[in-house]
Amino acid sequence: MTEPAIFLDRLGKSYGDIRAVEDLSLSIAPGTIFGFLGANGAGKTTTIRMLCGLVRPTSGRAAITGADVWRQRHIVRSNFGYVAQRFSLYRDLTVEENIRFFGGACRVPRSALPERIARLLELTDLKTKRHAPAGSLSGGMRQLLALACALVHDPPLLFLDEPTSGLDPVHRQQMWNLLYDLSHRGITIFVTTHYMDEAERCTEVGFIERGRLLAKAPPRALKASFHAKLLEIEVEPVMEALVRLREFPGILGVSLRSGSLRLYAADPEKLVTEWNQQWPFPELRWLGHRWVEPDMEDVFTAYSQGYDAVLRPAQS
Amino acid sequence: MKRGSFSAIASVAYKEFLHIYRDRRVLILLLILPPVFTLVFGHAFEAGEMTNVPAMLINRDGTPRAQPFVDLLLKNKTFGWRVEPPTVTGEEDLLGHGVQAALIIPAGWSESLANNDPVPLRLYLDGSDTNTADLLQGSLQKTLGDFQQEALVKLIDTLPEDVIDLSKKLPVQVRKQFVSMMEPWKAEGKILYNPKTRFIDYVLPGVIGLILQLITVTLMACTLAREREAGTLYQLMVTSLRRREIVLGKIIPYLVISIVLIIGIILLTGWHFQVQFYDPGALALICFLFLLCSLGMGLLISAVSRTQTQAIQFSVFFLLPVFVLSGAFAPLSQLPQAIRYISELFPLTHFCRAFRLVNLYRATPQFYVEDLIMLSLGVVITFVGAGVLLKRIEQ
Repeated sequence: MTEPAIFLDRLGKSYGDIRAVEDLSLSIAPGTIFGFLGANGAGKTTTIRMLCGLVRPTSGRAAITGADVWRQRHIVRSNFGYVAQRFSLYRDLTVEENIRFFGGACRVPRSALPERIARLLELTDLKTKRHAPAGSLSGGMRQLLALACALVHDPPLLFLDEPTSGLDPVHRQQMWNLLYDLSHRGITIFVTTHYMDEAERCTEVGFIERGRLLAKAPPRALKASFHAKLLEIEVEPVMEALVRLREFPGILGVSLRSGSLRLYAADPEKLVTEWNQQWPFPELRWLGHRWVEPDMEDVFTAYSQGYDAVLRPAQS
Repeated sequence: MKRGSFSAIASVAYKEFLHIYRDRRVLILLLILPPVFTLVFGHAFEAGEMTNVPAMLINRDGTPRAQPFVDLLLKNKTFGWRVEPPTVTGEEDLLGHGVQAALIIPAGWSESLANNDPVPLRLYLDGSDTNTADLLQGSLQKTLGDFQQEALVKLIDTLPEDVIDLSKKLPVQVRKQFVSMMEPWKAEGKILYNPKTRFIDYVLPGVIGLILQLITVTLMACTLAREREAGTLYQLMVTSLRRREIVLGKIIPYLVISIVLIIGIILLTGWHFQVQFYDPGALALICFLFLLCSLGMGLLISAVSRTQTQAIQFSVFFLLPVFVLSGAFAPLSQLPQAIRYISELFPLTHFCRAFRLVNLYRATPQFYVEDLIMLSLGVVITFVGAGVLLKRIEQ
């Protein structure tokens, strides 16, 4: 077995009494697109900062291709690129100057820089913006530039902290296409997101909630771990139904999807049978129901809300 | 230092230059302020003595015998005299009359002088700023002395012959003593170290220090704080740049700019104020250590501030006491002993002292080696301090 690109062993970080990350163990194989999913404040950014050697772990350890991310951080740092959550390039420098600076800072030989810059501008489609100040770029272009800067030293590993948050769908698509290209070239990608549809694009997904890892598996396996059937009903008025059904015995949770209600329940078939006999809400009109395949959001909801009754352990 | 480190430092330095170059307001500040400050301060302190202090003169004597004294007074450039009619009253209300001094020649003054019962002149002085009153009184006393001397000479010249004959009967010794008494005794002074007593020669290191410290401390303090504020510090830290490379790369541009500014100020003062410079090597060393010290101070401030606003506030808090207590514009000896110990903590104090020792006293290194040591200590303390603080932030 080859050495994992990223290896976390009971990694933890507390700030005083607050445990941002707890007992996080993970192993990520080279070439993976690893999607790290969690709500805001779940510990995604703290984990990524520990892996980048920006924050000192308070317990456990983590290694990137065998080197400790804290003790050997100066060695590790030449082996990855990092795209921060917040735009953190120099706004007063042009696109090219930014890439050139990070190239110099990452010790790319001066002679190799022009070719590297040309290639990255090509890759990120920023050639026409070459001499524009970074601060004048749109949100999507800024992220592309941040990606270009993170790639300037040809790292085998890339960390992206919510790279698509706040981007329009076109730029999100462009960003993901780029990540596929990079993955295709053998680069390991560690990306955090809270967009569940993006998790489907990863080759492997980890769920984190309140600093703990809930599950880690390929998206298909995660969805397969949702063993109960998933019931979607049409009911009117929908908002009132949502509130009422949430409280209904036997229902773990309800979510609204395109005007229909998705019900998380251990035994939804029993509910349908009962409701066919007698609909318990005279003030709500039940228009019909159907059975649907769970998507990533359903899986994440089930894991993060602890709906254990609908889950079985994922096979990774 | 490893290979590659130089080019990494150069990358940071070049980036920092671009920041300064792109920030037009700071650039203009850097290019315009130092020469303008130098000219303004240079001329502001040029005279070093008071002239044209608004004053009023009320001559209630009015006799022709008082006129020579009035003429002499009007020649005294310390005062900007306004001659008021003798009827003016309320001479103690200096503020109301818009003057800082009022001199009254009382009625019958010249007669009283002739009658061996001199009535004193009345002088009212504004003592609010503690310096002016003494200086004005001294200046007036001198004019009065000159007048008295003139009168004395005239008296001797017009003595009747028989008085001269009579005096010849006095013993020679008494006569000699008497003549000696008639002449004011003098101390023959020779002014050393600043023979023309030009204040600009004294104040120049203060001006250089003020400008440089203002620029280096504030700008340097802002650089790291700005990176932290913009989030770029994290991005810098995940590159393989080491802390010392970041710090060195950030210092170099400001060091270069400051050196250019010093040379500019020196050329300007040399050309415009005819200030002469001795021992350029020693002066360069003093300036260099002082610059490093200021940059280190800026770095230290940078390491403790989270935002640029904080950095500027800290800088102002640091710089204010420095300007007042460092002896840049007034001799330290005016300060009480206890305060002087505080002054010794400021780099500017040592810079000004060492600069003056070289340029005014033309002293040999043994006289200012102490200041060089203090400046070097300052460099070490600020840089090590900043390093430790930055390391703490990193975690």
